[in-house]
Amino acid sequence: MKQIVGVADMKVSNDLKDSVVTYSLGSCIGLVIYDPFVKAGGILHYMLPDSSIDKTKAKINPYMFADTAIPRLFKQAYAFGAKKPRMDVYIAGGAEILDQKGFFNIGKQNYMALKKMFFKNNVLINKQNVGGNVNRTIRLEIATGDIYIKTSGSVEEKV
Amino acid sequence: MTAIQELIKEIKNLKPIPAVINQILEIVDQPNSSMAQIANIIQYDPAVTASVLRTCNSAFFGLKNPAESIKDAVSLLGIDQIIEIVLMKSGAKVLSGKQQGYGLHEGAMWKYSVSSALIAKQIAIKLSLKNKSTIFTAALLKDIGKTVLDRFVMDSFEKISALVVNENLSFREAEKKIIGVDHTELGGMIAKMWKFSPKMVKIIRHHHLTDVSMVKDKEIAVVYLADCICMMIGIGVGSDGLAYRFNDQAMKELGIKADDISKIIAQFALNMQEVEDLLNVV
Repeated sequence: MKQIVGVADMKVSNDLKDSVVTYSLGSCIGLVIYDPFVKAGGILHYMLPDSSIDKTKAKINPYMFADTAIPRLFKQAYAFGAKKPRMDVYIAGGAEILDQKGFFNIGKQNYMALKKMFFKNNVLINKQNVGGNVNRTIRLEIATGDIYIKTSGSVEEKV
Repeated sequence: MTAIQELIKEIKNLKPIPAVINQILEIVDQPNSSMAQIANIIQYDPAVTASVLRTCNSAFFGLKNPAESIKDAVSLLGIDQIIEIVLMKSGAKVLSGKQQGYGLHEGAMWKYSVSSALIAKQIAIKLSLKNKSTIFTAALLKDIGKTVLDRFVMDSFEKISALVVNENLSFREAEKKIIGVDHTELGGMIAKMWKFSPKMVKIIRHHHLTDVSMVKDKEIAVVYLADCICMMIGIGVGSDGLAYRFNDQAMKELGIKADDISKIIAQFALNMQEVEDLLNVV
């Protein structure tokens, strides 16, 4: 079944019939994790780097922010028996508008927030497709762990 | 016939925008306009009245007793909500189709338009700007030019895309170079044809800050910023991607900081489900 991950949303599954997909990542980041041993994984689609700008909203929807969302994605996968050292990790998104610099570059900040957390927690990224001015759609097949990406103006490709 | 002549012909074939939009906009942002005046304008158009009442009485608004007249609807939901429903109803007629050239499936342009309008309104309220309804409507209709330019973009997509990738042009700049006219110029022409106020025409024409000096105009800066925020969230982003220019001067002019943008995004994210539900009833 197609499991659609909305904006500021997350879906994790170990149902071999599931295909998890998230559409139109602009400056948002789509984080895919998958453990091939237990065939479980999912996608997180977060929008902003840091929940400190609004703790109340982070409580209502923790999937909005990198710092409150990423740990939840991993925990949910662990609940399905996934283990960190076996995990495939893929990220896409973090695009920017032309000439967008520094503090105003939310795409880059979203990416940096993730990198910082991964560095602290010894998580390695296998592959990534980030930055630039394109929007992206990503899909994860639970049965195989295959990941597909579609960028604006082109056809879907297997990662 | 040149592309521009063809486009002008197409503009003339566009569905007219309901007259009630202009009538409302003329009085709504004036400080001394009254609720009764606005309700009267809407009531005068039976088709608009019927469809507004249908929306007001949909499950989305959860009214205990259904509104039976525009006056009821105004007293139950507030005048601002009613104005927005009227404006959205009118906009839906011209923006709800698909735009293949821009890679937007059916409904994507409409969601983008409504989202831009709601974000622009959110910024206008935060900054206590007057003319909120003008800002809302301009943000809602700013990409009307795309609906006409779409077919031409589809025909020339490869060329436009090559300029964006190889020469670092924005998608709008590439449209202008290849087709001879861009969607903001066309939008401005359409707005004029619909007899919108000079202010509305100006916002639609300059919503990508083609002329950078326009950033001094707060209404333009708000609509521009709302558009950028939509792109960042990934709303309305099609085959053109995020290939438009960002100008942080807009934020400086409005006194909006990076954290404010994040807060606006977070607020909008919380309302997203509501927006989806609203799109279904309007």
